[in-house]
Amino acid sequence: MCILCGEFVMQIHWTDKTSTDETEILVGDLQRTRMRTRLHRAKLCNKILSYYRLKLEDWHGSKFVLRDLKGNQEIVHDLGALWGTAEKMLGGPINPLDPNLLQQIQEEQNLLRNENK
Amino acid sequence: MTNSNKKPITIITGCLGSGKTTLLRKLLKKPELQHNTAVIVNEFGKIGLDHHLLKKTDEKTVLLNGGCICCNNREDLENELKSFLSMDHNKDASINRIIIETTGMADPSPILFTILTNPLLQHHYYIESVVATVDTKNGLLHLKNNPELVKQVIVADKIILTKTDISTLEEKEELMRQLHRINPSCEVHEAIHGDIGIDILKVDHQSLSISKIEAEPLKIENTNHYDSNIKSISFTFNSPLDWTAFGLWLSALLHANGEDVLRVKGLLDVGEDGPIVLNGVQHIIHPPEHLDTWPDNVKHSHLVFILRSIEPMDIEKSLKSFQFFLGTDIEVLELITAL
Repeated sequence: MCILCGEFVMQIHWTDKTSTDETEILVGDLQRTRMRTRLHRAKLCNKILSYYRLKLEDWHGSKFVLRDLKGNQEIVHDLGALWGTAEKMLGGPINPLDPNLLQQIQEEQNLLRNENK
Repeated sequence: MTNSNKKPITIITGCLGSGKTTLLRKLLKKPELQHNTAVIVNEFGKIGLDHHLLKKTDEKTVLLNGGCICCNNREDLENELKSFLSMDHNKDASINRIIIETTGMADPSPILFTILTNPLLQHHYYIESVVATVDTKNGLLHLKNNPELVKQVIVADKIILTKTDISTLEEKEELMRQLHRINPSCEVHEAIHGDIGIDILKVDHQSLSISKIEAEPLKIENTNHYDSNIKSISFTFNSPLDWTAFGLWLSALLHANGEDVLRVKGLLDVGEDGPIVLNGVQHIIHPPEHLDTWPDNVKHSHLVFILRSIEPMDIEKSLKSFQFFLGTDIEVLELITAL
C-alpha cells in the first residue's frame, strides 16, 4: 500500500518489472538507477503528452503527477493508469495510431531536421 | 523477474476432438510428470483421464467492468489454483507443475488474465506455454467453421498437429501454411496418438529467433480465408531500442486498441547482453523476460503483431513516426494480410 495516498498497489505494471527478482529497490546505490529510469520515463512521456498539452512529473520517486494547462492535476501510479487518467483529463482518446498525431509528429521531426541542416 | 520460485502452468487448448485429452494422457504417463503435476480439466470427454491430482471445474467466468472479452476472471480456476497452492504448502502433495486443459470452445485469454493479474496467483504461478492441438485431418474445416480455433491458434505458443497418420501430406502442408498465416510466431509439432516428449510443455525462444524465420521463405498469397479481419505484421530493428520508450508506446497502443491487438510477440534488443522476450495477448502482457544470451547467437530484434480490424500499415506508420523516440530504425520484415 502506498503510505502517501492510501492506494493499494495490487499490480506491478509490466513496464515496471525488471530482469531480477529485486523488483523493489529499497535503499542504496540502486536508488539512483531507479530514479534515473523514472525521470527518463517522465521525459519520454512528456514527449508524447506535449501533443496533448499535458505534463507528467515525477513525484518524490513514488508516484507521477499529471497536469494540464488549466491547473488540473491527478496522481498517477504507473503507465497502466497514465493513459486512462490522461484520457479522462482530455475528454478524448489517446491513440498512437491516430493519423493526426502521427502527422503532427512527422511535421515536427521534419522541422527539426531542417533546422539541423 | 525470474520465475525460480514460481510454478509453471501449461495450458492445453484445441477444438473438440482434436486430441487434447489423448495428448494429456500420454504426457501424464511420463515419469517426469507422473507425480508432481496437477491437472485441471474443464470437461470430461470420451477418453478417461486417470491421475491422482486431477480436478474438474465448471467454467465460470466472472465478468468484470470494462467489457473487454480478454479481461475476465475465471473464478473456477482461481479457486482450484489456490487449493493446489495450499495443498503444496501443507505438504499434502508436492506439485511443481500445473496443466490446464480447456474446453474445445474456450478462449484461453481469460485464463492468462486470471493468472497474471490475480494478486496471489501472479506471485506463485507463471504461464510457461500455451499449447494448441489441431486435428490435421479436419483442421482446415475447423478453422473455417470455428472462430474459437483461430483465437486459440493466435494465443498459442506451440501448435501440435494431431492425427497426422490418417491425413495426407497435402492436407498437412496446407494446414501448416494456414496456421503460419494466422500466427507466424508459433512453433508447429506433430504427434500421433499423443506421442510427444515433455519438452512440448517447456518453452524455448528459438522459434522467435530471426534465423528460424528467414529459413522459411514464404509466399504471400491472398486466397480464400476465414476471417479477413485478422492480419499480421512483423518488424525488425536495426539498432537497440529504448525499452522505456517502447514500453510507453506499446502501453499506449494497448490502452487504446488492446482488444484488437490479438498478439504481440518478439525478441527485442535493448542494448543489453541478451534480448527481452515480449509476449502479450490483447490487454495482457506477460512479465517481460530478460534473457542472458541470444538464441543461436544471432543478435537481431524481431517483433510480430497479430491484429484484428487494424491495418498493419497503421502500426508501421505509428512505429515509424515514433522512431525518433525509440532510437532505432524500423524495417518491415514480413506482412501477411487477408488471412
